[in-house]
Amino acid sequence: MSATTENRSLGRLPTREALLQKRRGWFFGMSGDQFVKYLFQGNATISIIVLGLITFTIFRDAVGFIPMNHASLAVYRLAGLEYVDIYREQLTTHSTMSRYLASVRAQKLDQLMNKEGLAPAAAMATLAEFDDFANRFADTINEQETLLGSMTDLVTAVKERQTVSEDIMVGKQYLLRAMAGATPERAAELQRAADVLTVEVIDFKAEFQRVLALRPEIAAANTSQVAALKALMAGAPKFADSDLQRRMEKFQGFVQGYCQEVEVTAQKMAAWDQSKPIGWLESFNAFAFGRKWVTASFWQDWYGIIPLLSGSLLIAFLALLIALPLGVAAAVYVNQVARPVEQKIIKPYIEFISAIPSVVLGFFGIAMLGETLRRVSQIPALDWVPGFPMAERLNPTTAACLLALMAIPTIFSLAEDAINNVPRSFKEASFALGATRLQTIIHIIVPAALSGIMAAILLGFGRVIGETMVVLLCAGNRIQTPDLTSGLGVIFQPVHTMTGIIAQEMGEVVRNSIHYRALFMVGVVLFLISLLINWLAQKIVRRYRISIG
Amino acid sequence: MKPATTTATAIYGRPTPAKRIEIGIFWLLRLCTYLVLFCAAFIFWDIGSKGGAVIFRSEAPFINVKFLTESPETLNVFDYQGEKRTLGDRAFREFKASHETEMKGVAVDPYVYSAGGIFPNIAGTVLLVLGSILIALVLGVMSAIYLSEYASDGPFIRFLRLSIINLAGVPSIVFGLFGFGLFVIAFDFGVSLLAGWLTLAFMVLPVIITASEEALKAVPKGYREGSLALGATKFQTIVTNVLPYALPGILTSSVLSIARVAGETAPIMFTAAFVMRDELPWQVQKWTDFIFQGVMALPYHIYVVASKIPQNEYTRDVQYGTAFVFLFTVAAIAMTAVILRQRLRKKYQW
Repeated sequence: MSATTENRSLGRLPTREALLQKRRGWFFGMSGDQFVKYLFQGNATISIIVLGLITFTIFRDAVGFIPMNHASLAVYRLAGLEYVDIYREQLTTHSTMSRYLASVRAQKLDQLMNKEGLAPAAAMATLAEFDDFANRFADTINEQETLLGSMTDLVTAVKERQTVSEDIMVGKQYLLRAMAGATPERAAELQRAADVLTVEVIDFKAEFQRVLALRPEIAAANTSQVAALKALMAGAPKFADSDLQRRMEKFQGFVQGYCQEVEVTAQKMAAWDQSKPIGWLESFNAFAFGRKWVTASFWQDWYGIIPLLSGSLLIAFLALLIALPLGVAAAVYVNQVARPVEQKIIKPYIEFISAIPSVVLGFFGIAMLGETLRRVSQIPALDWVPGFPMAERLNPTTAACLLALMAIPTIFSLAEDAINNVPRSFKEASFALGATRLQTIIHIIVPAALSGIMAAILLGFGRVIGETMVVLLCAGNRIQTPDLTSGLGVIFQPVHTMTGIIAQEMGEVVRNSIHYRALFMVGVVLFLISLLINWLAQKIVRRYRISIG
Repeated sequence: MKPATTTATAIYGRPTPAKRIEIGIFWLLRLCTYLVLFCAAFIFWDIGSKGGAVIFRSEAPFINVKFLTESPETLNVFDYQGEKRTLGDRAFREFKASHETEMKGVAVDPYVYSAGGIFPNIAGTVLLVLGSILIALVLGVMSAIYLSEYASDGPFIRFLRLSIINLAGVPSIVFGLFGFGLFVIAFDFGVSLLAGWLTLAFMVLPVIITASEEALKAVPKGYREGSLALGATKFQTIVTNVLPYALPGILTSSVLSIARVAGETAPIMFTAAFVMRDELPWQVQKWTDFIFQGVMALPYHIYVVASKIPQNEYTRDVQYGTAFVFLFTVAAIAMTAVILRQRLRKKYQW
C-alpha cells in the first residue's frame, strides 16, 4: 500500500520497469495518447465530412433542375405555347407603338396647355383629330387580339390536361411503390386504387391541328391589317412643331418596320416545328442565358438567371466603384501617412465596421439612406445627372452605398497588410535616391503591393456579391435585366439579385418542385462564383510572394 | 548676409510645388479615410440616437423594461373622442370590452409587431448563438489541433486546407440553402433550433478552423520540442506547451465568430427563424420539443419589421429599438474581440 502511494507521488519520474513495460491500453485497447489522437482525428473527419456534404447537398438538389426544366420546355413546345408566343411578340410590338403614340399625345397636350396656355377642354378639342387617328390605329389590332385569345385558350387547355395527367401519373407511381412492402390485401387495394387512375396520353399533334386551323384566318387578318395601316399612314396628322413632327416621322418608321415584322412572324410561324426535340444544350441555355425569371405563371414558367446575375453584378460593380478608392486610399493613408496615434485608432475602428450586421445596414437603407438619396435627387439644380430625380427610393445605388461600407473593411485590412509587407529597404532606397514621400508611395510602394491590393479588391467583390440582406431590403426587388443601353439612369432602376431571390422565394416554394431546384441552381452559381474569386485571389497572392522574394 | 537669408527662405520657408502637391494628395487621402469613419459613425449615431430614445428613459429605472421583457404585439391606432390613441393588442381588447358603446364604428388601424417588446427575439438569438458556437468551437478547435499537430503534411491535407479556406468565402445564403436542403428537408428536422445551430455552426467552422490553426502554428516549434525532450507525451505537450500560447488567437477568432453568428440573418431565415411565436422557447413539454422548435430571432425580426410593415411614426419605435439592441449587442461582442486581440498581442510576443 505504502509502496503504491510512493510510486504515485513519484509518478512523474517513471521507474525502469515502467519504461520497459509494454504500454497497456486503458480505453478500447488504446493508450491515452492514441485515444486523444483519434478523438481529434474523429472531429476533424466530422468537420471535413460536413463541409463536403455542403457541396454535395447543394449540387444534389440543383442537378434535378436541368431535366425538369427540359421537360417543362418540351411541353412548352409540344402544347404549342411557343407557337403562340411567336405571334404574341407581334402584338406586343403593336402595343408598344400605341404607347409611343400616347406619349406623343401627352407631349403635345403639355405644349398646348403650358406653353400656349389653352384651357384643358380647348386643348382636348385641338387634339380631336389626333385622337381619332390614334383610336383608328389601336383598332387595327382588334382582329389579331381575338385570334391570339382563341389560340391561347386552345393551348393552355392542352397544357392543363398535360399537367393533370402528369400529376395522376405521379400519384399512380406512389401507389405502386407503396405496394412493394404491403400485405397482400393492402396490395390488392392499392392496385385497385391505381387501376382507377387513368393517365391520359395526349396526342399533341392532333390537338395542335385546331390551332393550325386558324392559320388562314391569321393570314387574312395580317393582310387586312397591313392594308389598314398603310391607308392610315397616308392620312397621318402633321405637327408644326419640329420636335413633334420628328417623333411622328419616327412613328411612321416604326409602322413600316412593323409591316415587315408581320411578314417575318408569319414566316417564323410557318417554319416552326412542333415535333422538333428540345436539345439539352438548349434547355441549359434557357437557364444560363435566359432573360426571364417568371414563376407561378399560368402560361409558362421561365428560369433564366440573366436578370438576377446582371442585377447582382451591377450592384457589386457599383459598390466596388465606391469602396475601391476609399478602401485603398484609407489603407495607403493609415500605413504611410498617418501618425502612430491615428493608426492605433483608425485600424481597429475600420475592423470594427465589418462587424455591423448586414440586416442593420439594410434597415438603415430603408429607413434613412433611401429617402435621403431621393430627396437629394429631387433638387432641381441636380437635374443634369442622368436618372435624376429617382423614381424609387430603393434602387441599386442605395444598396451599393451600403455594400461599399461592408466591402471597405475587407479591402482596407488586406490592402494594408499588403502594403505593410513591402520590405523597408524598398522605401529606404527610394528616399536615398531623393524621391519625395509621395513619389515613393506612387512609384514604389503601391506597385510593389499591387497584387496584394488586387487580391483585396477581389475578396471585397466576393463579399459584396454574396451579401444577402442589404440587397434584399434595398435593391428594389424588381425582376428585370438592367438595360445598359438606356444610359446611366439604369443605376437608379430597381433590380433583383441572386442572393435576394433565394432569400425571398425559398421560404414559399414546394419542396423538390422545379422552382425549388431552380433556386438551388442559383445557389450553385453563387457558390461557383465565390470559389472562382477565392481561387483567383490566392493565385494573385502567390505570384506576389515571388515578386518580392 | 541679406541675400543668403532670402535664398534660404526661398528654399525652406515656402513649400516647393512638388511639396504642395504632396500635401494636397495627403489631405485627399486623409479626407477619404475620415469619410469612411464618418459614414460609419453616422450610422451608429442615427440608430443610437433614435433607438436609444426607445430603450432609455429619463426617470428610474432608466431603461424601457417593457420593451426588453415583453413579446411583440399588434399596435392599434384609433380615434377616441377626438384624440388619437395607440394601444397594444391585449390592452386594446380590454379597452374595447369596457368601452363597447363608444367604440362602435370607430376605425382602427392595426400595425403588426409594433407594440410590446422583443424579449422572445433576444432569447431566441441567445439560444441560437450559444448552441451554434458550442458546436463550432468543439469541432473547429479539435480539427485545428489535428490538422496542425497530428496530421502529416501530404497532398490530401493540403487539399483539405485549401477547401476549408475556400469554404470560408462562400456566401452565407448558400449555407442557408445547404441547411435548408440537408437539415430541414433531408433530415426532416423542420424549421428548428437544431437546424439553425448546425447551419450556423458549419458556416463559421471554416473560419474557426483556419484561425485556430494559424494560432497553433504561430507557437514556436521549440516549445513543443522542449516538452517532448523532457519526456512528455504528445498530448501533454499540446495541453501544457501549445494550447496556452495559442489560446489568445483562438479566443479572438471565437469571439469574432460569435459576432458573425449573431449578426447573420440569411442562414437562419429558412432554417430556424419564425416570424411570430406565442410560446417562449422554454415553454415546451418534452426536451425534444426544445431542440425541434423554431424560434424568433433579433436579426430576422429586424428584416420583418423593416420590409413587411410600413414606415411611419407608429412603427418607428419598434424598428429603431430592435435595430439598436441588435447593433449594439453585436458591436459590444466585436469590440471585445478587437480589444482582446490588442491586449493579447502585447502580452505574447516571441
